[in-house]
Amino acid sequence: MSAFKPVLTQHIHQQDCHTLPFYQSEGGYSALEKVLTMDPEDVIDVVKNSNLRGRGGAGFPAGIKWGFLPKDMVKPTYLINNADESEPGTFKDRLLINKAPHQMLEGMLIAAYAIRCNLAFIYIRGEFYKEAEVLEKVLSEAYAANLLGKNILGSKYDLDVIVHRGAGAYICGEETALIESLEGKRGCPRLKPPFPALEGYLKCPTIVNNVETLSNLPHIINQGAEWFRSIGPEKGPGPKLYCVSGCVNSPGVFEEPMGTSLKKLIYENAGGIKNGNQLKAVLPGGSSSAILTAEEAVVLNMDFDSLMDAKTMLGSAGIIVMDDTVDMVQACLNIARFYAHESCGQCTPCREGTTWLVKMLTRMVQGGGTAGDIKMLYEITDNIGGLIDFSKGSFGKTICPFGEAVAWPVRSFVEKFEAEFINYIPQQETVA
Amino acid sequence: MPFIKIDEKEFEVAKGITVLQAALANGIEIPHYCFHPVLEVVGSCRMCLVQVEGMPKLQASCNTSIGEVALDKKLDGKYDMVVNTQTDAVKQERKNILEFLLLNHPLDCPVCDQAGECYLQDYTFKYGNAHSRFKEEKRVRPSESLGSNIVINQDRCILCSRCVRFTREISGTNELFVQNRGYHSKVSILKDKPLENLMAGNVADICPVGALLNTDYIHKNRFWNLDTIPSVCQDCSAGCNVDVFSQRDEIFRLTPRENHDVNGYFMCDIGRYGFHRFEEIERVNQPLVRNGKSFDVIDWAEAIQKTADLIEQSNGKTAGIVSPFHTNESNFLLGLMINGMLGMLPAIQAEEITYPSGFRISADRSPNQRGMNNICGGLAEDLSSEIKTQAIRGLYILDDGVDRELDDAWKEILAKMDFLIVQSYAMTDLAKLAHIVLPGLAPYEREGTITNDQDRIQWLRPSLSIKAESKPDWEILMLVNNALNKKAENFTGLDDVIIKMGEQFPNYSGITLFKIATQGIALNGKKM
Amino acid sequence: MKSKAQPKSGFSFADSERVERILSQYPDKKSATLPLLHLAQSQEGYISSSVIDTIADLADCHPSVVMDCVSFYTMLYTKPQGRHTIQVCQTLSCSLNGADSMVDHVRDKYEIEPGGTTADDRFTLMKVECLGSCGTAPVVQVNNDYHEGLSLEEFDQLLESLE
Ligand SMILES: Cc1cc2nc3c(=O)[nH]c(=O)nc-3n(C[C@H](O)[C@H](O)[C@H](O)COP(=O)(O)O)c2cc1C
Ligand code: SF4
Ligand code: SF4
Ligand code: SF4
Ligand code: FES
Ligand code: FES
Repeated sequence: MSAFKPVLTQHIHQQDCHTLPFYQSEGGYSALEKVLTMDPEDVIDVVKNSNLRGRGGAGFPAGIKWGFLPKDMVKPTYLINNADESEPGTFKDRLLINKAPHQMLEGMLIAAYAIRCNLAFIYIRGEFYKEAEVLEKVLSEAYAANLLGKNILGSKYDLDVIVHRGAGAYICGEETALIESLEGKRGCPRLKPPFPALEGYLKCPTIVNNVETLSNLPHIINQGAEWFRSIGPEKGPGPKLYCVSGCVNSPGVFEEPMGTSLKKLIYENAGGIKNGNQLKAVLPGGSSSAILTAEEAVVLNMDFDSLMDAKTMLGSAGIIVMDDTVDMVQACLNIARFYAHESCGQCTPCREGTTWLVKMLTRMVQGGGTAGDIKMLYEITDNIGGLIDFSKGSFGKTICPFGEAVAWPVRSFVEKFEAEFINYIPQQETVA
Repeated sequence: MPFIKIDEKEFEVAKGITVLQAALANGIEIPHYCFHPVLEVVGSCRMCLVQVEGMPKLQASCNTSIGEVALDKKLDGKYDMVVNTQTDAVKQERKNILEFLLLNHPLDCPVCDQAGECYLQDYTFKYGNAHSRFKEEKRVRPSESLGSNIVINQDRCILCSRCVRFTREISGTNELFVQNRGYHSKVSILKDKPLENLMAGNVADICPVGALLNTDYIHKNRFWNLDTIPSVCQDCSAGCNVDVFSQRDEIFRLTPRENHDVNGYFMCDIGRYGFHRFEEIERVNQPLVRNGKSFDVIDWAEAIQKTADLIEQSNGKTAGIVSPFHTNESNFLLGLMINGMLGMLPAIQAEEITYPSGFRISADRSPNQRGMNNICGGLAEDLSSEIKTQAIRGLYILDDGVDRELDDAWKEILAKMDFLIVQSYAMTDLAKLAHIVLPGLAPYEREGTITNDQDRIQWLRPSLSIKAESKPDWEILMLVNNALNKKAENFTGLDDVIIKMGEQFPNYSGITLFKIATQGIALNGKKM
Repeated sequence: MKSKAQPKSGFSFADSERVERILSQYPDKKSATLPLLHLAQSQEGYISSSVIDTIADLADCHPSVVMDCVSFYTMLYTKPQGRHTIQVCQTLSCSLNGADSMVDHVRDKYEIEPGGTTADDRFTLMKVECLGSCGTAPVVQVNNDYHEGLSLEEFDQLLESLE
C-alpha cells in the first residue's frame, strides 16, 4: 500500500491556509466550477458511488440520504452543516473550520447544488465563538468573490449561507434537535418519522451533514468516486480524521485512511501512553461508544464495520485513551454525569435514568455501594438504552439515540471492568 | 382500509390512524400518558410501547401509523399490521417506565386529590412493580401556583407536557412552558404572565396524574365519595357537556364530558366554576303572596288558584315572559298557557370568545335561547312596546334568575301592571316586585331539555334535590294551566311534555329523553 | 462582558441595524430567536425578563416560548454573572488531564463554589461539559476565549490577569 497523504488536512500547517487566496492558489473551488456545469442528479450519483458515509456519528451514506429528498420540489430544500461538535473526545470539525474553512464551504456549495438548496446553515456550537467569527469572515470573502449569493460564478445557481450559533446543548448535535434549535426552540429531538429529508427545518425537506462529511466533497468531485473508494474499506472508505485524547503523549487530530489500526493511532500518531504507563481502555468513537479493553483495542481497525463487529462504534472517531492509573468507576461516573447534564429530558427513561445512574455511581464512589448495585447498573442501562447485544437489536426505548449513547458506554464500563465496581462495594455488603 | 390484528382482535381501521388510536377505538387498553386525542403527538412518555410484527424494536403506538401494505407483503396473507400489546417485552417495558416515573414521586396517593382518577396509580396497580428499587435521594420541589385557580405539585408531575401543549394548541394562550432541561425540567410560568385564561381549568382535567390541581377543589373531597351526573353547562348557549360531581346535595366540581359535536373534551371556567353562584342565593322555597311591602306564605293549592284567577280576570290581557334560562318544556308550557302574547326580557349578551382550537364561549350567556325561540311561536319582537299598544294588564314571568339593569320603559311597565306572577327560585329584583311568587327550581335542580345555539337538543339532568316546597317549573305551569282550563292535562313526566311539544313543532317530534341520552340530538337535520 | 447590569425597566437593542439584518436573513422570524438572544446577552450580560419580552415581540411569539428556549441552553444566563465567566471543562479527557484540580484551585483561592460569583463580581466559576477541544486538555473557556493545555500555574496567572 502506498503511503497515505492527508487530503482534508493537507494544508493545515501552512500559513494563511484559512484564507480564500490561499485556498484558490491550491486549486480551491475548481470542484464547484465543475459541479455547476453538472446536473444535480449526477452530482448525487457521484457521491453515492463514492460510498461516502457520514462523519457526524451515525455513518449514514451521504448520497443515499440526499436521494431521500422528495422529487417534486414544491417546498424549498435546506442544507444544514452540523458543526455542533459536542461529542466528548471529538475536536476535528473545529480544526477543519479554523484551518480549512473554504474546503468545507466548497463542500457545502456542492451539496447544496446537488440537493437544489438555496439557503444553507452552519449550525456551530455556541462555545465556538472564535470559529463562528472565522466563518463569518469566510462567508464575506466568498460573497465578495461571487462564490455565494446570486448567480454563483456566472451560473444560474444562488446560495446564501447563514452561520447560526448554538447556545450550549450537546443534544443539538442530533439532527432533529438541531433543527428545533435552529427554529428558535428548545433542542428536543423530534419523533421520527418523518425524517428531516421529508420534513425538517420549517417542515421543509432538509439535509443535515457533518463538517467533515462535507469537506470530503470537493475531493470526491475532483478525484472521482473510485479514487475515494480506494482509500480504506470499500464499504466505508475515504480519508478520516481521528481525534486522540486522554492519557497519550501527543494528543491531536490525525488524518489517516478509514480502517487505520487503533494501535497505530495511539502508539504512533499520538505518541503512546503518557508517563510510561500502560494502556488500559479506549473509547473509540466518542463517549457514546462502548469501551474497549486494552487487549481488544490494540487489534482493532478504525472503520464503521470493524467497530460494529466489536460491539462498539466508530461514531465521531473521538478516541479517548485511558491508562492504568485511571479509576474506571470514576471515569464511568464522569461519562454518566455528562449525559445526565445533557439529556433534553423529554423521554422518561433518559430523563430519569441518567440521573439515577449518576446518583448511584456517586454513592458508590463515596463508599456507599451496596450488594445489588452492579445488577442494578445493568438493569438501569438496559432500561434506558436497550441491550448492548447488537444481534438482539436495541429496543428503541427513547425518542433519539441519546438513550443508547448513555447506556452503551456505561454498561460496557461495568461489564468490562466489573471487578473495579465490585471493589467499591464495602466488604460487609458483598458478603451479605 | 387496512385490516389489522391487535392481540387476538381483528378489525379494519381508517388508513393513517395510529396503533394507539385503533386500539382505544376497539376497546383494547394500551397504557399511555403523553398522548391526548386533540394534542400534537410527542411520543415522550414511552409508556405506550408495543410489539409490531416485523419490527425489531418496540414501537411507540402513539406514533406508529397504520397503512396498507402490498398484497404479497400482507402478514398471514391478510393483515396490514399485526400488533401485540401483551408480550413479555412490552409488559416489562411498562414496568420499567413506571419505575422511572415513580422514582421521585412522593407516593402520597392517600392525600392526593387525583387518587382514584390517576393514571399513575392506576397503571402502577395494573402494570407496575410492587416496590421501588430506588435507594437514592428523591428530587423534592415545592408546589407552585400557576394561576389563580391552578397549582402544580412538581413532585407528582411526570412531564408528559399535555398541559403545555394545551396552552399552545388549544387555548393558544401559551402561559405554560417547560423550564430547564433533563432532570431539572419542570412545568412553569413567567412570573408576570400566569395561567389566566378562561380555559385554564382544563389543564387539571387533562393532567393524567395529580400534578395539576384546581384550587377550587383541592382537598375538598375524594373522587369515590362523589356522585356523578352527566349534564349540560347552563352558562352559555354553546351547551358544553359536563359531569357534575356532588355529595349530600352539594356540588363539588364540574368537569367537561366528551362530546365531539359540542365541546370536544373541554369547557370554560365560566361554566366550570359557575355553580358557586347558586350557593349563596336567597332562595324562595314556598309560594308567596304580596301583603303590602312584604309577602305572606301560602300553600300551593291557594297559590295556583290565585294565579289562575288573576290571569282569568285579566281577560286575555296577560302576557307571558319566557326565559332563555329555562328548559324547552317550561317555556313551551308557558306558551300553551298564555296562548296570546309571549316575549322575553332584553337578552343578556357578553363577548363571544373563540379559541384557536375552535372551542367557543358564546356571546349569548343563556343556555337555551335557541330552544326558547324554537318552541315559542311568535315571540313579540319588541315586547315592551307591544305591552303598551295591546294594553296588557298582567305578566306571568318565568324568571331567568339573573338580574339585569332594565331600561325606563320596562321599569314603567313593571310598575303599572295590575299583577306580576313571577315563577322563580330566588328573590330576584323581579320577584321582589311580584304579587305572587311561585317557587321553581334552581339550575342544578332542574331537569328537561335545552337546545344549544347549533340546534342540538340536550338533556339537562339534575344533581341537587328539590328544596322545601319548590316544584319543578314545568309542573307548576301544568298545574296553573289545568286550573285555568278547568281540566287536567296529565303530563306524567317530561317525555309527555316533549311529545306534546313535538305535535306542535315537528322538529321536536319523535324525541325522548332516552333518545337524547348523553350526547344529544342534532335538530338541524330536520325541517323547522 | 458587561458588569452586573441592574435589571432595567425596558430593554432595547443598541444595534438595531444588526437586529434587522438578523431578522431578514431567516425565512421565519422565530428562527432569529437564538441569534437575538446572543446579541442581547452580549449587550446586557444576561437575559432579563425585558429582554425576553423584546425578543418575543420581534420573533412574534409568546414570551413564555422564548423562556422555554432560553432555559434549555447553558450559555444563556437568566441572572447577572461576574465580569468573567471561568468555564472549566470537566468531561473525561480534561478530567484525565487535571481539570478537577483547576476547579479546586478557583474554589480555594476565590472561595466560590461552581455556579457562584465572587463578592466583587469579578469571576463566576462554572463547571462545563466537553468544549470540543479535548486534544488540548485541560481546557478553560474565559468568556468567549478558549485557553488550552494550561498548567495550574498558567491557569493561575491567567486568572490574575483578569480585571
Ligand atoms: C446525541 C447525538 C449527538 C450528536 N452530535 C453530533 C454532532 O455534534 N455533530 C454531528 O455532526 N453529528 C452529531 N450527531 C449525528 C447527527 O444526528 C447526524 O446524524 C449527522 O449530523 C448527520 O451528518 P453526517 O451524515 O454527515 O454524519 C449526533 C447524534 C446524536 C444522536
Ligand atoms: S433520549 Fe434523551 S436526549 Fe433523546 S429525546 Fe429522549 S430525553 Fe431527549
Ligand atoms: S403537570 Fe400534569 S399535564 Fe403537565 S406535564 Fe406534568 S403530568 Fe403532564
Ligand atoms: S363555553 Fe359556555 S357552555 Fe361551555 S362551559 Fe363555558 S359557559 Fe358553559
Ligand atoms: S403515549 Fe406514546 S409515548 Fe407517550
Ligand atoms: S473533554 Fe474537555 S474539551 Fe473535551
